[in-house]
This record gives sequence, C-alpha cells and structure tokens, in this order.
Amino acid sequence: MSLWKALGRETLNHIGKRPGSRAVTLVMVSLAFVIFNTFLLVSWNLERLLQRELQSVRIEAFLSPELTQAEGRSLSDLVSTMNGVRSVYYVSVYEAEALFRAEMPEQERLLDLLSGQFRLPASIQVSLEPGWDNESGVRSLAAAIQGLEGVTEAVFGEEYLPGLSKTVSAFRKLLVFLGTVLAVSIALVVAYTVRLSVLQRSLTVEIMSIVGAPDWFIIAPFLAEGTLTGLAGALGGLLISVVLSGMLQGAVGHSFLPPQLFWTVVLLGGATGAVGAILGIRPGKTSDGSNNQI
Amino acid sequence: MLIEIEGASRSYGHWPALDQVTLQVAEGEFVVVSGPSGAGKTTLLRLIWMGDMPDRGFVQVAGFRSDMMKRRHFAMLRRKIGIVFQDFRLLPDRTIFDNVALPLVVSGSSSRAVRKRVFSLLALMGLSHRRNSYPHQLSGGEQQRVAIARAMAAHPLILLADEPTGNLDPEASTKVIQHLIDINRGGTAVVMATHDPRRIPPGSARFLFLDGGRLTNAESWQDLEETR
Repeated sequence: MSLWKALGRETLNHIGKRPGSRAVTLVMVSLAFVIFNTFLLVSWNLERLLQRELQSVRIEAFLSPELTQAEGRSLSDLVSTMNGVRSVYYVSVYEAEALFRAEMPEQERLLDLLSGQFRLPASIQVSLEPGWDNESGVRSLAAAIQGLEGVTEAVFGEEYLPGLSKTVSAFRKLLVFLGTVLAVSIALVVAYTVRLSVLQRSLTVEIMSIVGAPDWFIIAPFLAEGTLTGLAGALGGLLISVVLSGMLQGAVGHSFLPPQLFWTVVLLGGATGAVGAILGIRPGKTSDGSNNQI
Repeated sequence: MLIEIEGASRSYGHWPALDQVTLQVAEGEFVVVSGPSGAGKTTLLRLIWMGDMPDRGFVQVAGFRSDMMKRRHFAMLRRKIGIVFQDFRLLPDRTIFDNVALPLVVSGSSSRAVRKRVFSLLALMGLSHRRNSYPHQLSGGEQQRVAIARAMAAHPLILLADEPTGNLDPEASTKVIQHLIDINRGGTAVVMATHDPRRIPPGSARFLFLDGGRLTNAESWQDLEETR
C-alpha cells in the first residue's frame, strides 16, 4: 500500500467520524457565508450599476456665444482628436433650440419670450472610449475640454456620479472589513472543531507518532477536515444565498454573483478552513512544558 | 551502543523523575528496569523513544542524539523502535490486522509486504484467527500480544515494554514474557520496565533498579530484592 493510498484511507476514515459536530460546524460556517454573500451581492450589483451609468456618461461642452458655427465645428474636430474621445457631435445654436422645443414642449413659450435676449448655447457632445468610462477618466477629460478656448463649461453628471462612486467604495470597504471579520470567525470555528478532533483522536495521533508516521501524514487528515469544512460551508452558504436571491428577485431586481466570484467565494472557504485547521493543530503546551498536540 | 544515556535528568515541576541517569544498552541485550510506582521507569522509556527530552544530559538511540534532533528525525527514530504499553494502546476502531499493520502502512510498505508480515506476526502470536476482530473483542492477554505484534511489525532494533504484564493475569503474563524473550533471542534489544521482575527467568536479562529517579545495577531480581 503506497503512503498516498494509506493517507487517502486515513483521511476518509477520519472525515467519516463525528457527523453531529461536523454538521453543526457546517451550518455555522454556511450562515457566516450567507452574511458575506449578501454584502458581496449588494456591492457587486451597485458596482454594476455604477459601471452602467459610467458607460452611458457623455461630456457636454457648452461653447461661448461669440464663436461662429465654423469655429464651433473646428473646435469639435479638435476635441475629437483628444485621448479618450470616441466620437463628438456638434450641436449648433439652432439644433439646441430645436432639441429643447422637442424635449420640453411645456417650456417652449418661455423660450419664445426670451428669444430677443437669450439664446441656447451651441455645444459639443462627447462620448468616451472604453477604459475612460470611469469617474476619474471622465473628470480629467472634462477638465481638459473645459480648458480649451471657446468652451465655457463641460459637464458630465457630476451631481450624482461621485455619490454613487462613494457608495460603491463604502460598500467595498465594508465588504473587506466584514470579509476579514467573518474569515477570522470561520477560521476560529473550524480551529475549534479541528482541535476537538485532535483531542478526540489523541490516541490515534499518539500511536501514529509512536509507530513512526511522518508529521505530514498525521496532520493531513486534520488539514483535509478543515479545508473540506470551509469548502462545504462556502458552497452551503452560496446555495442558501441563491435561494434567498431568487425569493427576493421579484421585490428587488438584481443579478446573482458571476461564476468567477462564485468560485472565489468557494476558494475563500477552502483557504479559511485550511487556516482554521492549522490553528487547530498548533502544538499547545502542558503545565510541564511538553507538547500536548501533534 | 544501541542506547546510550549520559547524565540524563528530567523534572516535572519540582519533582525529579530522573536524576543523573547513565545507562548503556548493547545490540541484542535484554534489560529489565524495576522499581516502585513513580520511580521514573516510564520517564526513562519515554526518554529512549524521545517522547520526552532530558533537561540535562543526553540520550542517544540508534545514532539519534536527543540534543541534535530535528523534527523529521523523530519519525525516523521511531521506526527503529517498537513500544508496548501496559494499557496496550490499540486503536479501538480498527481491526487487529489494521492495528498490527499500522507501522508498515505509515512507512509506505506495499500491500503485499504488509499482508505477509502481519499474517506472519499474528501466526507467531497465535492470533491468526482474530485478525478481523476488534480490540474490545479480545482478552487482555490477546490484546497485549497484538500490541507486541504491532511493535515488531517494522523489524525494530529495540523493543521497549512499559509494564507489559501490569494488566494481565499470571498465565497471560508468562506468555507475554516468553514472547519478549523469544523476540530478544531473535536479536532485538529489549528494555522492559516492570514493578515485578520476578517473572523474568534468571540469566535471561540484565536487571536495573530505579528509585527516586536514580538508577542502580543488579545481577538478578534477587539482588533487586536485597537492594530494596
């Protein structure tokens, strides 16, 4: 029998023991992952919303009334050569007025009254290259356009984008904090379970050590226990999250986690479980100073 | 020398379990360490299999020296030592076959080699018919013979027996001691700790007396009686 085959048998034999306490640990780890998944889901959906908003963002550069239509068009050509600009559309004074009348028919009379003293300004509508559709990209391009001679103002929806960005950023920070707290909690729960296992199997551990089993051979089943508990807990948490997400879909429209995030959560579970197992099998000291663990 | 202990002391708190013990055991020797309960016999054996380390002095066993041991050396040393305990320490959830096979399994022996060695040892101990039983289904004497078979599975250089007859009736004790003598005749050094050395036939072993952590030599168990 090869050592690996023996190790496989040993691990299976080990994992088949104490189904009751293993189930309790699994439920606790799963519930911790449900909390984590909920925040991850909210954060990811907010992030998607922000991305969608950013992708639809246009910079609108209003031109000085002194500029002629030819000067406005040449300024528009200049903007189209700038980095990050995908396309530009020049909106003349006349077109701006026509658009206003079409989009706000109730305000048409006001425009007629003011037509002697006020005219809507010509503008350039700028759409962005992919990769520039983030808040800092939009902001820097808008500042560059605003710096051009003949441009009075460049706007891009700065009244709501920073707020949305901040919310997403706050959720990300909360997620990292919560993730850390939950990872530590899960690791401690797994560590406690593995330590119980070590104590319950102290005779096996002692005999294995006495008959010359290498350390890794003795430790591996406990590591496997912790890692599998973490993996199964993460999968259990995801399963519960899928069900909850489906139930809430009607009330709050959202998407579930994409496959790469799904598997990241599963891997996180495995890693947390492995860390917990390592904590659980760390040697402890007895009162006489000798090791009482593996 | 197979075992060399030089000025080894071990204390637990303020209690000196062993005090300046010096001992040499040659290959193929049979050494009986006697003494009352709490004399330090188990501690001495623990130092030999390096389940514990001396506070002072050193222990050298089969080329492994206590003050130069690295973590990986412990497994290597213990494959050269077989250990038998008073309470047998068989794994209750495994069959007799699996218990005896354990030292071979953890050293990566082939299934064929494991089967051959385990069947041979069980036959030697008169336990072939019990190979699929579990420890709790066996008598104390049978369990101790299983423990001896397990200790001998990996062809150790040294067999340590800590009060191997302590939990057995006289008949079973005699059988177990005879097995230890046979094993020693096969060339394996045996160090046996017992509070009752009278069961060992005169001339078959070197007798040592341990009390209050101090070791003294004796020619026979009768000498030990006088020492006491």
